[in-house]
Amino acid sequence: MLDQPRLRIAVLAALGRNPVSGAARPNPDDLLALDIALQLSSDVTLLHVGTDTETALGDYFAYGAINLLVVPAGPDIAAQLAERLSGYDLILTGTRSEGGQGSGMVPYLVAEQRGLPIVAQALDLSIANGHVEITQSLPKGQRRHVRVSLPAVVAIHPKAPAKPRYAFARRAHGRLLQVPSSGAAPATVSAWRTEPAIKRPVKFKAAETKSGHARMLSAVATDAKGGAVISSGTPAEKAQAILFYLREHKLIDW
Amino acid sequence: MTSPAKRLNTRRPFHVTPQGLKRIILGEIGAAGTLQHFAAHHETAPKPLRLTQAPTNHILVIAHTDRGGFDAQAQQAIAAAALLARADAAVAVLVLGSLTDDLTTLGADSIFVAPDCESGLFNPDLELAIATDIIGKLNPLHILLPDNAIGDGDLGRRLAARLGADAAAHVVELKADALATHWQGGATLARRTLPRILLLDPETTDTALAFRGVGETLDYAAAETPASAYAHLGTPAIDTAKLALEEADFIVSAGNGVTDVPTLQAVADAFGAAVGASRVAVDDGKFARDKQIGATGKTVTANVYLAIGISGAVQHLQGIRACRHVIAINTDASAPIAKRADLTIVDDAQQIMEQLLHATRGRNFTAADQEA
Repeated sequence: MLDQPRLRIAVLAALGRNPVSGAARPNPDDLLALDIALQLSSDVTLLHVGTDTETALGDYFAYGAINLLVVPAGPDIAAQLAERLSGYDLILTGTRSEGGQGSGMVPYLVAEQRGLPIVAQALDLSIANGHVEITQSLPKGQRRHVRVSLPAVVAIHPKAPAKPRYAFARRAHGRLLQVPSSGAAPATVSAWRTEPAIKRPVKFKAAETKSGHARMLSAVATDAKGGAVISSGTPAEKAQAILFYLREHKLIDW
Repeated sequence: MTSPAKRLNTRRPFHVTPQGLKRIILGEIGAAGTLQHFAAHHETAPKPLRLTQAPTNHILVIAHTDRGGFDAQAQQAIAAAALLARADAAVAVLVLGSLTDDLTTLGADSIFVAPDCESGLFNPDLELAIATDIIGKLNPLHILLPDNAIGDGDLGRRLAARLGADAAAHVVELKADALATHWQGGATLARRTLPRILLLDPETTDTALAFRGVGETLDYAAAETPASAYAHLGTPAIDTAKLALEEADFIVSAGNGVTDVPTLQAVADAFGAAVGASRVAVDDGKFARDKQIGATGKTVTANVYLAIGISGAVQHLQGIRACRHVIAINTDASAPIAKRADLTIVDDAQQIMEQLLHATRGRNFTAADQEA
């Protein structure tokens, strides 16, 4: 915080949705981004697309935000955000919004419109010499270190080791700034039709053209293929066969 | 007055063969013609080609490989493209990484391989350049990617932003003309017609197809490596033994046939593998309960599963369903695990473990080993 006094960070924050009650709440991923931003700099601005009447926005102040800029909703959220994001060194977001579509597209669209590099799945970041070094989370416990120059967009992974803390006293001390509406209303025609998610998704399958007899047989038959069986030879040869199999499939590199 | 037709008892005895139910017809032992016909019906006759005409448009699948093969989610994306494709559309696959698998069974018609884009590397600018190059050449109707964390979900979103294309992420349900995704953390199901870019969640598609693809590998001039804003600083080695079993890539698992736990642990250490166990071994107190793999234990997705002294109860096989390479060591060649395993070694577990240790001794040696 001390060696980077002028680092300006913007955090893109949406409102989440409590999975049990359905009530609006801060998006958990965005809270992680806010917490990481507060560790890096004292100049952190939160950007939210919506209206300033949403009471759950106050919880972001309780979690440590000081400046909150509310951009009125229009036809293109990413374009509106991108318009407001000039002059920031680092733009942090969560990975998926919990209250909306949750497609994880917004950070990419913002980065593309501002022409900035974007790194997702970030667990940890550090700033050095105008660059940001990021530790990414990959499946199977792998980690990857990546460096990009500032300014950049970074999407924080849900498992980032940040611990946002709620303090009720901070709730009253935040500064909320409403950007005047440009007049463009949100798009009313959507390609999407929504319904309550009650049914389990159906798998996409090939149309069944087989005869009843063939279907019966495919239901009876086990699809277990059974691989090679080695039953002769000394134990040493058999151990070598295992190693040969592993090498052949590039599963070990020695 | 008797009918000339031969009367057969419909409940005559039968036995089940790999070809299905076989009724025993008395007096027909020599006349095997009907049986041959029966067997020929089920032999894996080559499936018909889906594409029988010159394609006029394409559906493109882009996915990363791991060690030359696709994971289940990427395979489902290719199969989904083959199911979506109409009679005049070809399924093109852009393989990021090396490829050794056969993609015809998944319905791939033309294959482009970009071996420089291994999934462990972080080179989004190069991948984006290759993908936009191929998209520019083929002008595909739809572009499908698995929405995973090894780089395909990332690349798909970059593509959608770069092309300004309609996209749907985390697709959970797919039909020939529509898709569905979850909104609001799973509370709402949203449906729409198919956009240009689709990012598919796992388990959207059944990969069993009634046809095959042409599977032709096409050459293409690789795009120029663009100046990249990203620097890849490396992937640190991780201690697999400390990972949770669900995340491990290599698992050495012990069953009832293992009596010597320290040797098993040494084998696991030699391969840098995590240790798992079957229910019997856990019940015996040889392993902690959190090591149990199977229906009541953990479901694992390792690349390599070395099953030592495990017979393979259904509940255990269920837990290792997603494992890619299963190697079994068992004294009984007819144990159920042998049907699941890609390689079965029929021998005493203890001897093979000792030989494996012996064969891997040159690896990970310390100064003390050198002196000995």
